[in-house]
Amino acid sequence: RHSVNRPPTPDTRDDQEKEPTLKEIINIKLIESGEKERLMELLRERLVESGWKDEMKSLCREYIKKKGRNNVTIDDLVHVITPKGRGSIPDPIKAELLQRIRTFLVSAAL
Amino acid sequence: MSAPNENNVSQPQLSAHVFDELLDSIIMDVASECHRITKLGLDRNLEEEEEELRLSAQARARVADPSNSSETNGKYIVDIFGQTHPPVANEIFECMNCGRSIMAGRFAPHLEKCMGKGRKARLKATRSSTAQNRYTRRNSASTYSPYSNPTSTSRLPNGSSGVSGHEYSNGSLEEM
Repeated sequence: RHSVNRPPTPDTRDDQEKEPTLKEIINIKLIESGEKERLMELLRERLVESGWKDEMKSLCREYIKKKGRNNVTIDDLVHVITPKGRGSIPDPIKAELLQRIRTFLVSAAL
Repeated sequence: MSAPNENNVSQPQLSAHVFDELLDSIIMDVASECHRITKLGLDRNLEEEEEELRLSAQARARVADPSNSSETNGKYIVDIFGQTHPPVANEIFECMNCGRSIMAGRFAPHLEKCMGKGRKARLKATRSSTAQNRYTRRNSASTYSPYSNPTSTSRLPNGSSGVSGHEYSNGSLEEM
């Protein structure tokens, strides 16, 4: 009868478990205040300056050369650069960002 | 370190978590950008390299292809640039000795006969009397008669085909 498969409407009892986690709250606050955007831009800028982005791009290019231009998905590229990318963030950059985040968390009384 | 809060997550962990999230977004952006550039063919270097790889693979295929490399195919040998060269060079020019039009690939054998290195020319030279004159010409200023046969030349005593008689008849040389 039903043309669409849909999960049963959740019980109101389940609402208690659906309360946002702390992480979700933080995320919401970051976005609403605009701080997330600012932090992203700051991190992006620092990573470009340090050459990190160029390194990642060259990793991508090597992978693409090997695998062939038409056989590459974004997912592939993400998997290619994530391990190296996470591990090669220069310490000062990481410290600067962490500092800013901490300041924000404090100011948001979290 | 601040006291753990309701979810038992410490503050540095939270900061680290936020940082990781930011980083993942940026990594995603970089991957997306590279993917776009590649698919749209905007990376010139990549294209050039692909083109070179393709051409060298083609060339290798051509070289390895047995139907191309057999000499018995006559003119149809194709080199790696796709050019064919006839087995005998076929440019035509004028022989500076006898003035005939000669094909480049046949020039060496022609010169042999033309300048007296071959058997026939040698025989001709020894038989004609003017050849006798030429042998002695070097030692004295004897009368010189132009060579009797336009296609034969003087034969130097040491047997090598040196300066040809053609030049002598031009009057461009010594002892006349």
